[in-house]
Amino acid sequence: MSGQRQGFRPPGTVFASSSTLPLAAASRPGVGHPPFSATGVFTSTAPQRHLNFRMPPLQTQTAEALATLQKLSNEYEPEIEGPLVGKRQSSQAITAEYQNADEIFVRKTAVLPQKYSHYRTVKGDGNCGWRAIAFSYFETLHRIGDKGRILEELTRLKSLNNLLNQAGFAEHLYEDFVQETLNLLSEIAYSLPTSSDDAGLLKAFNDPGISSAIITHFRLLTSAWMKTHVEAYQPFLLEDTVEQYCASQIEPYQVEIEHIGMNALIDALILPAGLAVEILYLDRSVGVEVNSHKFERMDASGAPLNPDAPTFRLLYRPGHYDILYKIEDVAALMSSPTNLQVAYATPVTYGTFQPVPVVPVSSDMSTYLEIPGMSTPFVPVTPSAMSPDTYTSPVSPALSTFSTTTLPLRPVGDIGGFRPSKYELEAEFHPSPMPNLPFQTPTFRNSHFNPAHFRNSDFQPEMWKPDTADSGRGHKDDSSRH
Amino acid sequence: MDYMMDNSQNTAPDSVNNVQSTKLSTAPRKQDTLSVTKRLQTELMQLMMSSAPGISAFPDADGNLLNWTGTITGPEGTYYDGLTFKLTFSFPNNYPYHPPTVLFKTPIYHPNVDFSGRICLDILKDKWSAVYNVQSVLLSLQSLLGEPNNASPLNGQAAELWDKDPVEYKRLMLARHRDLDEV
Repeated sequence: MSGQRQGFRPPGTVFASSSTLPLAAASRPGVGHPPFSATGVFTSTAPQRHLNFRMPPLQTQTAEALATLQKLSNEYEPEIEGPLVGKRQSSQAITAEYQNADEIFVRKTAVLPQKYSHYRTVKGDGNCGWRAIAFSYFETLHRIGDKGRILEELTRLKSLNNLLNQAGFAEHLYEDFVQETLNLLSEIAYSLPTSSDDAGLLKAFNDPGISSAIITHFRLLTSAWMKTHVEAYQPFLLEDTVEQYCASQIEPYQVEIEHIGMNALIDALILPAGLAVEILYLDRSVGVEVNSHKFERMDASGAPLNPDAPTFRLLYRPGHYDILYKIEDVAALMSSPTNLQVAYATPVTYGTFQPVPVVPVSSDMSTYLEIPGMSTPFVPVTPSAMSPDTYTSPVSPALSTFSTTTLPLRPVGDIGGFRPSKYELEAEFHPSPMPNLPFQTPTFRNSHFNPAHFRNSDFQPEMWKPDTADSGRGHKDDSSRH
Repeated sequence: MDYMMDNSQNTAPDSVNNVQSTKLSTAPRKQDTLSVTKRLQTELMQLMMSSAPGISAFPDADGNLLNWTGTITGPEGTYYDGLTFKLTFSFPNNYPYHPPTVLFKTPIYHPNVDFSGRICLDILKDKWSAVYNVQSVLLSLQSLLGEPNNASPLNGQAAELWDKDPVEYKRLMLARHRDLDEV
């Protein structure tokens, strides 16, 4: 452990507050600071939290008061919403986010979902690049689903403690961080093959204790890797030595990862695990698509050693990393039989039936009986075994007491949610979307949801004409006056 | 039991899955303060076993492991040779990801310490990292006594006198110094 002072903070103290603030801000990119005027007095846009502080008149401000303000300012962190690692969601959301942005962004984000169907947000708290890589590392190992391989990784990471020692880190200071990484790896390994979803991983990564420890472990690994491979990284550092760079940019918590740190982390952690990373850069550079760069193991000639290495993807927007998924990755993540059923069931239940369970059973069922075809999709259980006459529904014993005419629409169990049963759809069963649901109830026929009137050649939409509206009202007024 | 059987029939087909994910997620759920405590205990052990000269630290008597008192002795060949200084450490709940707040309790005349005992040292601010600890902070402060950073002073007068007028510096420094018991 180096007990040496690492140099000093550049000018800026309680007595020279104006110069301290930008420095503090610079050390935490993405973290804004309340605006200060030159005298150190908060401007009116200072956040709520600070407004509680009673500001004495300027002349009577003591060093004490200024120091209190400085302290508040130093410790100020804007509340950043959202989980540390979010749920996987459709990347259409990114397109929507940029729809009013610069044209280049609009163009690039419009085509993004075609290739990369899903993404996952990572909290922008200064650790996002580290967190994104760390989460993806675990998730990809989980996706591969090879217990032996995960245990190999566990052994490799344990042995990397030697690297940490070599870089001069004291074991009693890093062992807690390493332990969290090893714990999570072994939990994933022993949860296989039954655990097929990301719930456990997501929960672990949203636990600040576990998440911070793993990130710190990976920071230290990166630092140690750079310090033991100085010749590879020094050429990229303009002013600092590798030692200085690690002390100021890699090791401190909440300092965002830069390109060189990303390189070192990938070299130390990802490539030796037999994985590859592709980073997609979404910026204002010319082009119709996001630029991408793939980090993978290459031979001397620059050809990839293992082109089929499992790859995960990060989306980089200046200052921030999120996680991206290709369609096939998502498919692989959801490929277990239980998930397959959910994939079918969700559109069926929500697409056609969502309103049904919320209707109280006692309410007028006859309305629903009038809807032809309403019953057809509701018996998705083994269609071959089902004939209209002998409809003793195998859905559940409770439902079999209903006759065909009473329609088994009664919600059983959870109201509103998908109620899983022990019956599964046959593999070939694809419910045709809305087979014959003309919805010809009187209510529907007269409602504005009925598009039939568009087919009428004489159809003319009602149009609002400002003139007639105005003159009409004027006329009315006149007449009422008379 | 019938009830049990019923129950198992009605569970979701992916219940195995659920069991697994709960197992995966609930295993090592540490409270933040718990891991802070564990870390500080390790540090205390380490400090007591190692014999770094001129530094010591111990948790306060109130039983709260988040507040410590440290002592450093002025290094030989400096203005502070032979004097002892007491410091307070207070650790945040997210220690060691965030630095402890360290203050000089003993009044000290030094370019990088103000009259309230606040210290300007990079590793206590933006260069803090989780592998620093009480011991490295104490060692850094000890070396700060001999090698101040006069370019960014908290005490401008001290920074100016440091090289220019050693006699006056020593006089002012001794005038300010009080052993804590006398205060």
